[in-house]
Amino acid sequence: MKREISPEKRRAADRMAVFLARQIRDGEIVFHGVASALPMTAVGVARRLHAPGLTYLNIPGGVDARPAHLPGSTVGAQLLEGARAVFNLAEIFDLSARGALDLAFLGGAQIDSRGDINLSYIGDPRRPKVRLPGGAGSACILPTARRTVLWRTAHDPRSFPERCAWVTASGRVDRVVTPLCLFRKEGGRLVIESRHAGVSAEAVREATGFDPGPCEEAPETPEPTPAETAALQAADPGGVRFLEF
Amino acid sequence: MPALSKLLSLPEAARRVGDGEMISLGGNSLTRLPSAFARELARQEKRGLRLVKTAGAYDIDLLCAAGAAVEVQSGYVGFENLFGLAPSYRKGVESGAVRAVEHACYTVIAGLRASAYGIPSQPVAGLQGSDVPGLTGFKEAADPYTGAKVYMIPRIRPRWAVLHVPYADAEGNARIEGGTFEDVLMSRAAEGVILTAERIVETSFFEERPERTQIPAFLVGAVVHAPGGARPGACPPFYDMEEEAVARYIGQSASAGGLAAHLAEWEERDHHPAAGRPAGGRP
Repeated sequence: MKREISPEKRRAADRMAVFLARQIRDGEIVFHGVASALPMTAVGVARRLHAPGLTYLNIPGGVDARPAHLPGSTVGAQLLEGARAVFNLAEIFDLSARGALDLAFLGGAQIDSRGDINLSYIGDPRRPKVRLPGGAGSACILPTARRTVLWRTAHDPRSFPERCAWVTASGRVDRVVTPLCLFRKEGGRLVIESRHAGVSAEAVREATGFDPGPCEEAPETPEPTPAETAALQAADPGGVRFLEF
Repeated sequence: MPALSKLLSLPEAARRVGDGEMISLGGNSLTRLPSAFARELARQEKRGLRLVKTAGAYDIDLLCAAGAAVEVQSGYVGFENLFGLAPSYRKGVESGAVRAVEHACYTVIAGLRASAYGIPSQPVAGLQGSDVPGLTGFKEAADPYTGAKVYMIPRIRPRWAVLHVPYADAEGNARIEGGTFEDVLMSRAAEGVILTAERIVETSFFEERPERTQIPAFLVGAVVHAPGGARPGACPPFYDMEEEAVARYIGQSASAGGLAAHLAEWEERDHHPAAGRPAGGRP
């Protein structure tokens, strides 16, 4: 299906995919789950550049799949193409449970000042104003994976509250990637690490429902390099990453 | 030795499911879901169904739209980045018609494992700091050896596992290609298994590579020949997800008339899928 996407959103998607890719360290065992177009793209970028030795796990169970075209559903059978082994979803959760999953990417409808996420309810969970999809694996992965990186394609005060009224998952958050900035978790709170090019300190502060820390002093997030942009095109020629916007 | 055939038509198999029963649905998201079976449950106007799945989409949403489901135990229900929230599931939960039993995918797996292992509950790692245990009622217990606290997930024992597979024989041996998700576990956790299959093959197909038979016939109660049975979702290795058809469903599901039209549109294909195709033989 053809979808229209504005140049601004296109740029935000490209940046976020690259910035997520930079969070992957060479040699790590990396997992993303359902509804994860940006992390799926990021894996393809990282393995072409700085992390050729990563191990890539996904829901269909493909180990180191190398799909030519990324699927719109991040559970699609394309995520078994070129895989060398099948390692089932339950086994991936087991891997995380025993402390052997290096990095998981998890989304949040809301991400609060502590890095806790809500993917479940807006309002009283027994009669919610909004029933969100649910946290998928996050409540068990976030406390057990060695590191997790969160992402959210909307950056506004509702998405980044001081506290989530309802916490789906809590745990080992390392970084958070948004269209405006990167956060890192420090002393139990998210603090700004860098602002993306063209984003003012004021813009981050206004868009964030908690005190994001010293925004003026935060350095600029390095823009995607030509090598990263080329790797992005190679990893996701069909633009599946734009589905998140 | 003549094999016992468990082949049933789709309506016959769906009639085995009684109102109020718990059903676990195979596949994940829009891959290898038992779509045709879900549509048939909706056509037969089932009521009170309790659904179990780690991550669901069209199947769960359709059964909520049809008023067939009263409870959904899941980690995720939605149409991913393609179409976002599952509209009828959302509406059902928000109106109180559907009870969402909040899980992590791993706690669904743990509950199914408890059933498969023949034990009342299953300890699971994680959940610390989450509001899920409090809402759903998962309790912590002390490990009797070390005293370590661990959440115990109660057994989930569905009456039926409804699984859509690429290959089955008439007895109920089945081979899945691509991701198996929780299908194999569900086949061990449920009281009974209903298979819908793209191809009905000879038993010799399984004898050649028995290690690739994930579901042995002795676990299975009914087999339905249902080519296209996962559509509009995908069924590897035969077909991919049909994005336009999923979008059409989402539009139709907004009204009772639209849903009726949706079920009618698919009825011919669901009931007479084999027209012009051989039912048996080699894949």
